[in-house]
Amino acid sequence: MQNIFQQARGNVLPALFLIVLSVSVMVVDHRYSHLESVRAGISIVISPLRYLVSLPAQSGAWVSEWFRTHNRLVDENRELRNDERILNARLQKMEVLLAENTRLRNLLGSSRKLADDVIVSELLSVDQNPYRQLIELNKGSLDGLYDGQAVIDDYGVMGQVIHVTPNSSTVMLISDPEHAIPVQFIRSGLRTVAFGNGSTDQLEIRFLSATANIQVGDELVTSGLGGRFPPDYPVASIVEIKQDKTHGFISALARPKARLDSSREVLVIKPRVNKPAVEQ
Amino acid sequence: MMGFSFLVIPLSLVLGLVLMMAPLPEWALIYRPDWVALILIYWSMAMPNRVGLWSAFITGLFVDVTQGTLLGQHSLALVIIVFINLNFHLRIRVMSLGRQALYVLVLLLINQFTVVWIEGVLEREPPVLAFFAAPFIGMALWPWIFIALRDIRRKAQLR
Repeated sequence: MQNIFQQARGNVLPALFLIVLSVSVMVVDHRYSHLESVRAGISIVISPLRYLVSLPAQSGAWVSEWFRTHNRLVDENRELRNDERILNARLQKMEVLLAENTRLRNLLGSSRKLADDVIVSELLSVDQNPYRQLIELNKGSLDGLYDGQAVIDDYGVMGQVIHVTPNSSTVMLISDPEHAIPVQFIRSGLRTVAFGNGSTDQLEIRFLSATANIQVGDELVTSGLGGRFPPDYPVASIVEIKQDKTHGFISALARPKARLDSSREVLVIKPRVNKPAVEQ
Repeated sequence: MMGFSFLVIPLSLVLGLVLMMAPLPEWALIYRPDWVALILIYWSMAMPNRVGLWSAFITGLFVDVTQGTLLGQHSLALVIIVFINLNFHLRIRVMSLGRQALYVLVLLLINQFTVVWIEGVLEREPPVLAFFAAPFIGMALWPWIFIALRDIRRKAQLR
């Protein structure tokens, strides 16, 4: 009995010290960014584990690719060729419009950028934490990624980079409960903010005034305010409008355009800062 | 021989980390038992001189990075349960597996409560009752983890 209590006394001080240390580490991590290097260091140490964990899914994809029959490949090839033709045709039109747009903007004297560079990156793993919506990418600061970059897939905005290590990076999806993205309605031009709520197929738009001009099916694009996300990328479309008569507000639910839970290849946007959009 | 057998403890914790990172369907995430906590409870009970508060703290930082939580969040929870465990390990070691499992359940609940409480402080998501299912699953796993790790410990001649 005495032995037990003696032992307890010996442990109390180190335990208290470590508890205080944990709490202060948490506070520093929450409020400031001094611990980014610690996080990055640990991240590098465990990066082989991330590869290990993503191995079963990746090898599955590789095997199914390998065993695809010749006919299917030919079919797929033909389809892709057709798609390419259609897209090329559209692109021609786009280029004319782009040139015209550039000319008009130049006439107006505005120097807004039209095209952004992108870095193609692959999904390494999805963070297995039920509270958060984070994913890991296989590119890091060595490839030119940095904190705060916007990430998109071929359908819309996915999220933003929040931690980078030399060879991997963490992306917070727009559906993370801590995430908010400045958006604009294409139809009415109304600007607002869309919040994540923790499920991959929903964004929330809160506290719109009761007279706001919105309807189901409205498309939302990034507004470019706040400087994080470049303007005019598709974000979501409205699927439900909730009237709150007692408070005089309306709120809405939107479905993200990006395939947050199934995209494997993503694009990280590298904005061309302050480059006047002239010759293309 | 000695040099190699020391690696058994960190390797088992790495295995725990891998099990916590392995992909699961979204609905099942919430039921994933805290493997790292279970393995840490075993080692701090069996070898309190080797695995103590600092091991818990550092392991916690690794869990925080893999889970995307605040640095220190899992450290705090693990330090608390390892502290409790260090003070009771002599009594717990001689208990039957069934009673040990009940004791482990209490530790896992404290662990889970700490993590969920910090999420609550950060106003991330209202805790749902299902969060407290994971410790019960951990309790059910305890006898197997105990026997497996005990055999490993004996093979490696750690004491």
